[in-house]
Amino acid sequence: MKVNKEAKIGIILFLLPALILFIAFFLFPVFYVGVMSLFDWNGISNATFAGVENYKDIFSDRVFWTSIRNNIIWAVAHVCLQVPMALMMALILAKKPKFWKFFRTVYFFPQVISGIAIASMWSAVFNSEFGLLNGLLRLVGLDSLAKNWLGTPSTAFPCVLIYGLFYIGYYMVIMMAGITGIDQEYYEAAKIDGASRLQMDFHITIPLIKYSIMTCTTLAAVFGLRTFEQVFLLTNGGPANRTSVVVLYLYNQMKDNNYGGANAASVMLVLVGAVVIVTIRKLFTLKKD
Amino acid sequence: MTQKYTIKSKKTLGKVLTVVKWVIMIFFAAYTLFPLIWLFITSLKTNAEYFASPFSLPAVPQFSNYVNAMVQANLGQMIFNSITVAVVATVLNILVAAMASYAISRFKFKGREIIFALFSAGIMVPLNALMVPYYTIFSKIGLLDSLNALRILYAAIGIPISTFIIRGFMDSFPVEIEEAAYVDGCGFFGRFFKIVLPLTKTGLVTAATFQFLTCWNEFVYANLLTSSPASKTIQIGIRYFTNQFTTDYVSMYAAIMIAIVPSIVIYMLFQEQIISGLTAGAVKG
Repeated sequence: MKVNKEAKIGIILFLLPALILFIAFFLFPVFYVGVMSLFDWNGISNATFAGVENYKDIFSDRVFWTSIRNNIIWAVAHVCLQVPMALMMALILAKKPKFWKFFRTVYFFPQVISGIAIASMWSAVFNSEFGLLNGLLRLVGLDSLAKNWLGTPSTAFPCVLIYGLFYIGYYMVIMMAGITGIDQEYYEAAKIDGASRLQMDFHITIPLIKYSIMTCTTLAAVFGLRTFEQVFLLTNGGPANRTSVVVLYLYNQMKDNNYGGANAASVMLVLVGAVVIVTIRKLFTLKKD
Repeated sequence: MTQKYTIKSKKTLGKVLTVVKWVIMIFFAAYTLFPLIWLFITSLKTNAEYFASPFSLPAVPQFSNYVNAMVQANLGQMIFNSITVAVVATVLNILVAAMASYAISRFKFKGREIIFALFSAGIMVPLNALMVPYYTIFSKIGLLDSLNALRILYAAIGIPISTFIIRGFMDSFPVEIEEAAYVDGCGFFGRFFKIVLPLTKTGLVTAATFQFLTCWNEFVYANLLTSSPASKTIQIGIRYFTNQFTTDYVSMYAAIMIAIVPSIVIYMLFQEQIISGLTAGAVKG
């Protein structure tokens, strides 16, 4: 469209609201945590410059390292287990077996329900006295295995982590969209060459939806790093901080009025996230050559 | 002979694979549905029935559990709050994002791709890590413990995704239609309201569905920025029960169901939009 004088004013007027909100709630906050992580601040009195003290503090805090470790396990589990399972289901449902729409609808359910409701539901499943899991175990005579799942240090973190792994709908839909975009001629040619369906999946479909897979891998890693609700609701980091994650850590720092520490943790999260995104992008584009 | 043999074994292999495929498909469906159905059934039992066995069916469906949940945690107020927050934030977000998308999609000006790239990068920003700045911003402008804080914040954090979706839809129809209107003397604003908005209705509905669900489901900032009962949202209402040592499990389960059902209803109504919204994002990578 031609940009005349009226359009010029219009463009500025139309971009302004989005830009203002974006600057206020994206650019400024990221800049803010970066700068304020160098200050000692309790949220009330004036902030004083502290250099890298906040970083030293959180780096010498064992809970911070436990949180980082849990986030990394979380991200790796989602990338290495959830995404491949989603890919497998995308390959299956893309061939449109009977009832595929029903299955797609069901798999996507957890994506539209709030994280806090899902977590509450699983807290009912894991409940030590009347929970679904212990009930099932007792039903099949495995009473000895029934336990306080979320209160036992060895089972708490696996429980909080695992339940979401099998919710594959989100990534599956993204990858199915990629598969729908593939030119049918590839498959026809392969069919003439006598390729089996499995061979077509591995040699045609998967390479051609590389970018969808990359998107899913990136999202899975990023979601793994910013986890909060599941842990907050199910264990609140316990027992003995064993299940803490970085966002919960910074939330608790904030509650303790240690805003500097919270900001340093935020910076670490943003940085680790950026590194992960860039690395995944590099890895996927490297394979091409 | 060998030829026949391999064909036969190939057929058996195919059958085995089909069975395996269905087992897997049903497993994932059961994994999603079973706990939900169990929760729903349990929410209709009495506490005594639930304590006696987690698997029994209710002798008489106890709809009173839902009434209890509503009264005890004052869920009615929270549902009302969630609706007004989600509606206002969605309208605001879609309007702002549609305006920006129109400028970016329909006009060539310096920096437009930079602005769009910036917005898109916003999708990857870990918003949970920005608790301190968001809290500080709203305390500075005196909006702590106010639903308006949530309305503004939700409208803002949805801008990257909404702009991404709406711009995609706007790009997909030709400029010629507007050029005809331009020749007829229809200005910048007229073309936006009379031509572009009606044509991108599907895109707007798609983005609005995502945005509404995000607002309805949001917990982290609703929890951080509000404190009084008058400004709590439905997701915080669930916490009311799980937060304390409640013995009224069935009412708690009813409360969880109350928070889940609207999401599912919206999903069922707008399923195609949600799927196509994700599709738009994936194809562009």
